[in-house]
Amino acid sequence: MIQLSYLDYSAVEGKSFLHRLSPKLKIIGMIFVLLGLVTLGNILGLLLLYGVLLALFFISRIPTKIFSLTLYPLIFTILFIFISGFQIHFILLVFLKVLCGSTGVVLLLATTPYPSIFSVLGRVLPSSFVTALFLTYRSIFILLNILEETRHALYFRGGFQWRHPWRSLINISNAFGHLIIKGIDASEKMYESMVLRGFKNKIYYRRD
Amino acid sequence: MSHIHLPDGVLPVWLWGSGFIVAILVGTILFRLTKKEELTRRLPLLGMMAAVMVLGAAVEIVPIAYHVNLTVISGILLGPSLIFLATFVVNVILALFGHGGITVIGLNTLTLSVEGVLGYFLFRLFWKVLKRLTPATFLATFIALIFSTFAMIGVVSLGTSHYEELIHKEGKGIFEFHLSKEKGDQHDGEKKESEINIKRFIAIVVPLGFIGWMLEGVITALIARYIYRLRPDLLRLEKETR
Repeated sequence: MIQLSYLDYSAVEGKSFLHRLSPKLKIIGMIFVLLGLVTLGNILGLLLLYGVLLALFFISRIPTKIFSLTLYPLIFTILFIFISGFQIHFILLVFLKVLCGSTGVVLLLATTPYPSIFSVLGRVLPSSFVTALFLTYRSIFILLNILEETRHALYFRGGFQWRHPWRSLINISNAFGHLIIKGIDASEKMYESMVLRGFKNKIYYRRD
Repeated sequence: MSHIHLPDGVLPVWLWGSGFIVAILVGTILFRLTKKEELTRRLPLLGMMAAVMVLGAAVEIVPIAYHVNLTVISGILLGPSLIFLATFVVNVILALFGHGGITVIGLNTLTLSVEGVLGYFLFRLFWKVLKRLTPATFLATFIALIFSTFAMIGVVSLGTSHYEELIHKEGKGIFEFHLSKEKGDQHDGEKKESEINIKRFIAIVVPLGFIGWMLEGVITALIARYIYRLRPDLLRLEKETR
């Protein structure tokens, strides 16, 4: 999750052709990637799609640190291998679909600042929903700062040790509890400042 | 465990399509039922709790592929209608980070919100009966997670015929193995192997899920205890013994 800040940095500071491309076009591109995932049933086609996405990823000079984000969903996909009875074709198909999907979305997010994505989404989705998306995204960064402070406090109180599982669980839970309380306090302050700035159920973006 | 970590294109279109339709329908009804001022006032809180859930999902317990959802504690704090909207937002954000497919957002919202909504009502029920915070929260989380995990298994098993189609599309796949002695044996073996085995999936998910339910139950109960100590007003409980 810490890679989120890199993702944001890459989206705002990147200068490649993909960064300069209109967000609308990139979202349409992503829809085509999804269409490809849904319709493609052969490994060769998916390999080709993954190759194109990988090429775009490296041409766009996105920090390599972000690349690990595209591999993360594979951890969970392992569970679904058991459905197929270890059929190599099925496993390859599912893994490639995972990689294509995750590379596509990470590519979109690493080359497009999130207000631009939400601005495009705001034209088709209800304003309250898009506002909630925007506030959640903003809140993640606020909470990441709190989490960093909490991590230090937790470290001084023993942090997580396999030798003391119960104490570790208490520490982790207290950290989450602290995060929730701090988060709720921050959300109240956020709401007050939003109302002061004239917030009425909708966030306006630069081009609105 | 209740979150469907399936990529796009694995579930049949009718399944994820109906997941989207039902999720949008429920979401629209809840939007209409919630007062506009109330929704506007609580949007930052909804965003913050959704962010907590996203961060919880980032803490991975690798050996059992489990991450805490924090849906039940969010449900207790937000209430049943806002938790549905929060899970919708969480799934969209998670899908944008490549955590779960975009097409399964609707189905994931439905299974996760089962956890949140059920967790909220069970917590109220157990609180009324037991009058003790820690067991009430633990039991509510544990039971809500059982329901949502089985909802997830139900969704995955609905796509069985589609998985079979995916396997048989390329025949034996790209690698062929000829280890069987006789042709007849080989065909029988292939037939058995190529069959989709949901029972095997359940046999793996349920024991791993059990560890997850226990862990999440304990963590949620401890979080609730921490919140009760510092900000009991957030839990909106009657002034009674813990």
